[in-house]
Amino acid sequence: MERGLYIAAAGMVAEMVRQDQIANDLANAATPGYKSDRSQQRSFSDLLLQNTKTGETVGSLGSGPLITKQVTDLSPEALRSTQEPLDLGIAGPGYFAVQTDKGVKYTRDGSFKAAADGTLTDQLGNSVLGTDRKPVKVNADGTVDTAKVGNFALTGVKKVGDANFSGTAAGAGKGEVQSGVLESSGVDAGRTMVDMMASLRAFEAGQKAIQTIDGTLQQAAGQVGTLPQ
Amino acid sequence: MYTAAAGMAAQQTRLDAVSSDLANVDTTGYKSARVAFRDLVYDDAQGYGAAKGVTIGAGSAATSIGRSSAQGALQDTKRTLDVALNGPGFLQVKLADGSKALTRDGNLEVAPDGRLRLSSGGQVLEPAIKVPAGADPDAIKIGSDGSVSYNNVALGQIKIVDVPAPTGLQGGPGNTYVATKASGATRAADKSTILTQGSLEASNVDEATAMTDMIEAQRAFQMASKAITTQDQVLEIANQVKK
Repeated sequence: MERGLYIAAAGMVAEMVRQDQIANDLANAATPGYKSDRSQQRSFSDLLLQNTKTGETVGSLGSGPLITKQVTDLSPEALRSTQEPLDLGIAGPGYFAVQTDKGVKYTRDGSFKAAADGTLTDQLGNSVLGTDRKPVKVNADGTVDTAKVGNFALTGVKKVGDANFSGTAAGAGKGEVQSGVLESSGVDAGRTMVDMMASLRAFEAGQKAIQTIDGTLQQAAGQVGTLPQ
Repeated sequence: MYTAAAGMAAQQTRLDAVSSDLANVDTTGYKSARVAFRDLVYDDAQGYGAAKGVTIGAGSAATSIGRSSAQGALQDTKRTLDVALNGPGFLQVKLADGSKALTRDGNLEVAPDGRLRLSSGGQVLEPAIKVPAGADPDAIKIGSDGSVSYNNVALGQIKIVDVPAPTGLQGGPGNTYVATKASGATRAADKSTILTQGSLEASNVDEATAMTDMIEAQRAFQMASKAITTQDQVLEIANQVKK
């Protein structure tokens, strides 16, 4: 059948994935240490069209787009002051390490609290690890020694949810751990809203393309071959 | 759509916390609530307009992580039975059922039986401190270490206690907290904490910060709701592919 139908439909499906990613960014517009995603789109492998009689190559025809890659913008964001001793932030690159039940994960969301055993934990109760990879102790006056809180440089960083990233720690992070601050969300609200509108319109354009091709097919099926009265 | 709805729910939690803070802007010893955010699980989007490795997040969630530990400003009341804590820690009181509770509300008074108690809820200090009958309250001296004396006669010691994890404290009756398993058992507070007689600790809610937080939460809420509207439009357009 008409290839255009499937190309337009694939475009619409890709835009739906993009809408979901944008919604996730917007939902995290106020999450400290959140890193926003960018979706990269490319077409499926192009088909080569050939002349059926001579075998001569006519040209290429794409078969619709696909979101192939998602890039997380990991650049450090500005720190905002909260005056809260257990709110930690890293000025510059690096990640805090937390001991979860799925192994050590890394985060930049420093909304920490004290546990009953006097150690520092993240919001879900996972221990925050120090430079020596052991749980960090909270001082009796309710503060933490920022020099003892681990700050690790990571490679192969990937989001895993619950404010965490997975990756391989390779030495200490370059940034400085500060107390009384939180890192702002990496979501640029204005740009994300514009992306959302643009994606909606692209989706709508796909719908129009399908309707137009449908109209063409309808004419081909219904009118070709009828005799004028 | 559910992603954006999760974002709205998270912001709602924060709005609730901020409203409670604003309502307690004049409550003695009140500590503002802390709300933490996190993103949720990421699902593989492969086979749905996306290649391998592309993920879709499920939105955000909020968790209450206890209360701020910031010191509230000391308000000079000139009342001898007002004490303010300066530093981490709590006064220990006895609840009606005999169990112990903690408070930072140092607005004390002398009960009919002579014991010192909180004027807000009537809970007596633990250990009890008895003031001689007919004593002039203005002559009661409370030292920075909590020692109480009347005309140079020692009456007792106000105990300043703390818990390892104040975030795990549960709200008790009135302006008190109860120690739980999550907060850990009470222990003596850090020595740096002192009592100031003739003052009360004001609520540590900073109205400007609370208002800014509220505006940010509202805007984030609005953006998430806009995402829902847009997703709804997406589905509507999809439904109209066949006119």
